[in-house]
This record gives sequence, C-alpha cells and structure tokens, in this order.
Amino acid sequence: MAEKVRCISPVGIAEEVGTFPLSPRLDTIEGKNICMSICGEPDITIALEKKLKTDYTNVNWNVKKTYGLFPIGLTDEELKTTDAVIQGVLW
Amino acid sequence: MPYLAKLEKAGIPTVLVDFNDQIPSIEQEALAAGVPNIRHVTASRTIPGPEDVDRWIGPMLEMLTKPLTDQEKAESMHMPSQERILFEGTLDEAQEFYQQTRIIPDPLNAPISVYTDGLPVIVPTEERVAEMLKGTSHRPDEIITRKKGAPRFAFRGGEGDAVRFQPRLWTGTVEKVAINAVMAGCKPEHLPVVLAIAQSGVQTGTTVINHQWMCLSGPIVKEIGINAGTGMMGPGNPAGMAIGRAYQLMAINLGGAVPGVSRMSSIGSPISRGGLCFGECTEKLPPGWKGLNEDFGFKKDESVVLVQGGEGGFNGAQFSPGGYRALQKSGHGGMARRLGVKGLPGPHNWLDWILPDIWVGDREGSRIFVMVHEMAYDLYRLGFKSKDEVLEYIWKKSFEPLKKYRDRSWVDLWTNGWMGTEPTSGKPWKELPDDYMVPAAGNSPKDSYILVCGSDEEICYEMPGGVRRGEMSSVYSIDAWR
Repeated sequence: MAEKVRCISPVGIAEEVGTFPLSPRLDTIEGKNICMSICGEPDITIALEKKLKTDYTNVNWNVKKTYGLFPIGLTDEELKTTDAVIQGVLW
Repeated sequence: MPYLAKLEKAGIPTVLVDFNDQIPSIEQEALAAGVPNIRHVTASRTIPGPEDVDRWIGPMLEMLTKPLTDQEKAESMHMPSQERILFEGTLDEAQEFYQQTRIIPDPLNAPISVYTDGLPVIVPTEERVAEMLKGTSHRPDEIITRKKGAPRFAFRGGEGDAVRFQPRLWTGTVEKVAINAVMAGCKPEHLPVVLAIAQSGVQTGTTVINHQWMCLSGPIVKEIGINAGTGMMGPGNPAGMAIGRAYQLMAINLGGAVPGVSRMSSIGSPISRGGLCFGECTEKLPPGWKGLNEDFGFKKDESVVLVQGGEGGFNGAQFSPGGYRALQKSGHGGMARRLGVKGLPGPHNWLDWILPDIWVGDREGSRIFVMVHEMAYDLYRLGFKSKDEVLEYIWKKSFEPLKKYRDRSWVDLWTNGWMGTEPTSGKPWKELPDDYMVPAAGNSPKDSYILVCGSDEEICYEMPGGVRRGEMSSVYSIDAWR
C-alpha cells in the first residue's frame, strides 16, 4: 500500500473581516452635494460629467479628477458637507 | 475600495463605476474592505462614451437613493477557512490534486490551475517543507514583514508591517513561502532569495502586458549557481528557473492572482509564464562600474535581489553580432555607415546607433539596459567611467519637443492629465511652449539602470520599466533572510 503524505496549504492567509452595513441612502439627489471622483482615463467620465452637469442641474456637483491609481479624497470639511460620492475607476 | 468603505462607514452613500470585466475583482476587494454589498454599475470598454453613459446613468443615480435591502443592512464576520493541511493521500493522488483546475468564465472560458502555473509541481509534503525550511534561520510561523532598510512597497506598508501579497492582500508566513518554493522546485539554499522576493508583495500588474522578473547580485550568484552568463534569461539553469517560478507560484497562492478574475493582463506576458530570474555578472564589470548591490546602497559582499515589474515588450537584437564586430573592429558595415566612422577601428559609441530610436519606435519611459560585458567595456574605453555616466548620456539623448511628447499615450498618466509640473523645469506643463525639450526616458537618468551579464556575443536588451531608488526601490536584501 502506497505511503500517505500530508501537504501543507500554500495559500495565503486571509484575515477575518467584519462587514458592516452600507450607509443609508438619500431621499433624493435634488439639492444635494455630490462628489464625482475619477481615477484613470477620462474616456467615459468626460461624457458622464457633461451629462450630470447638464441633466441634473439641481445637484451641487464637486468633481475631483486624477489619472493616478488612488482617488483624491474628500477634505475634512468636504466630509461634513458631502451627501454622496460617485467613484469612477476606469483603467 | 478602502476609500469607499471609509465613506460608507462615515455615513456617505457611494456608488462605484468600473468596467464589467472587473466585477470579480471588485467583489473580492469589497469583501476584504468590509463592504461586500458595495453598489456598483459597470461600464463598457468598447461602447462610445456618451452612449455608454446613457445605459447606466439612471441606475447609477438610483443606487444613491434606493433604500437598502436587508442584506445591505447586515453586519457580520467573514471568517475565511485557514486549514493548514490541504491534502492527505498518496503521492500520486497528491500530484493529481495539485493539478486540479477550474473553468474561469468570460473573459477566459478556459481551465486555470488552482494551485499552480499549469505545470506539475513538486508536491509540498510536510517533510519536504521541513527540509526547505533548513535554508533559513527564520521561524516557520514568522509573518513576512518588511525588513529594516527594505524598500517600501509602492502601495502600502512600511518597515515591520506585514507584507500584503497582491492582488488579494493576503499575508504569508515563512512556511507559506517555503511551501511555494518546494512546489517551484527550489532547494533550501534558494529559500533566502525567495523570502527576499516575497517582501515585494509579488504584484502581477494590470491590463497591459505586464511582466515580472528578478536579478540577483552579490555572492549569492556563485553560491547557488544562478546563471549570469550565456543565455541567462533562457532555460536550463535550475536555480534561475525555480526561483523565477517561485515568484509566479507565490502570486497565485499567496496573492490569489487568477487570470480573468484578479489578474487582468489582457494578453499576458511570456516573461511571467514560467518566471524569470538570472544573475548579474559583477566580475566582468569594467573598472569603476559598480554592481547592483552597491548601486542600491548595499555592500559589495552583500547579496540582493532586484524584483522588477514593467509594462510593454522589450527591445533588443537591433544589430547582428557580425554587424557589431564589423563596427568595432574595422568600421565596416551599416552601423559604421550610420555613425560616420567607416574604415575606422573602434571603440565606437554603439548607443548612438540605438538611440533615440528605442523611444521613437516604442513607448516612452525609462529602461533597464541588459548588456554583455564586451559592450560595457566598449563604453568604458570611450570614456564612460561609471554606469551613471552612461545613464546620463542615454537620458540626454531622449529629449524631444513637448509637442511630440504630448502625442504619446502614457504621458497623460505620468503628468496627471498635464495638471502638474514638468520635473526638469519645475514649471506647469500647460505653460510650456511646444518646442520645449523634455526627456522621453523618464524624469531622471537614474530612472533607468544597467545590468551587465550574458555571453561574449554582442547584444543589448532594453527592458521597459525603470528602477525605483531610495525608500521605494525594488532591491531587497537576501542576507536578511538567511
């Protein structure tokens, strides 16, 4: 009978994660301060930004753009006044 | 994703827009960040922008107002399985177990190995792993952390922090690295090298052709017999093959990199297919030229590994070996004609023959020049007394008018949409005239590098993607892992 072997897992260690609820949604976007944050190429977000500003004029849009990997975060002050964030990651 | 998680925690509703082929990756990252139900819409890579936006702008805005479902309101603990023993059975059964595959749906629709690079591996039995661990004094349960003086990984973590293997951001122990080293065919004396490589986080890159490779420098080259001579990038050398493969196995097992799920290089790279590791031939450097170890702040008797990633194909073999000899020995042939040295014996500056064409015909950016010692000596005889002098020369050859530079593809990214400042002048990009000269070879001569290795036959490769210096460098101490 062939000898039995035991093999140790080569797979990395995934940490336990506490998951939490999403933030409550808005009742409406009308009159709200919404940040549109963009990372990467603007191929889609140019059209998105244009349409948002044209078709949703009752929203206060705050646009943050970078070609880099990481979004430009909201400042401490903006965190207090921003109602929602649209994050475009288009690479 | 951590940013969106932070916002959701702070009471700010979010919605993510990403490409549809990124969904599996989004779901993995969202779970790791504690927001598995993050709301997202998917854009197309091919539908024209305005038409594409029309498809999902409504649902996207609705995601900011539509009340949460019970699932989205849920709070829980995600506890991944961490079984130490993966398999028990005969060796034959184990061999079959490690060859298992699963079908990855679109964009692959092909079987992908679960634990390997597709080829059979050495089965990592407890005994073999214990033998492998004799190659280091570090404890098996030691978490891989960034050692003192080790470069800071580009994305996260400083000295003493646990290394987060890319792309799943899992952690690993010395034993986990040893297991992957066994599977790759490494010997115990290779383990300190593989542990040093592990500190890099073994990233696998993104959409464009992305490859990873390693070069060893210092006494380790002779110690383990890694090829630094003829064909050092080719097959045949056990140390080079096994260590190169270990990187890729770590990316698969410690990083969770799966093509079509979390490893999205559209075509892939042959360099990453089996892994690539070779040695630097420091004993054949011209006088005054330093090795990789010394150039990156280590001593001559210290062993290090350069862990390099880059995008794009690499150039090389622009001239025939006979053509190069004809240039240098007698001023014959096409190279001599172009350089205007017909009939004159060398040394002649062969760099003038390949520059600036490597940036004209290919992408801009820094390069790692891998050249044989004879060509390095020809440069030395021409007066280049160090690698830095060569790098300065190369960099200056790369300057081109801003008008031309603007037409390149990657520069929108490098310049952050031209919103920043031009590094050589310190002036805003948008204020510079069209004829302003800027370097196509990166911001600094030292973004590029030179490795001397290989045979006597005249050849120079130009590997895309330069080196990082200082705290962000990608050169790791091997001795720290002995």
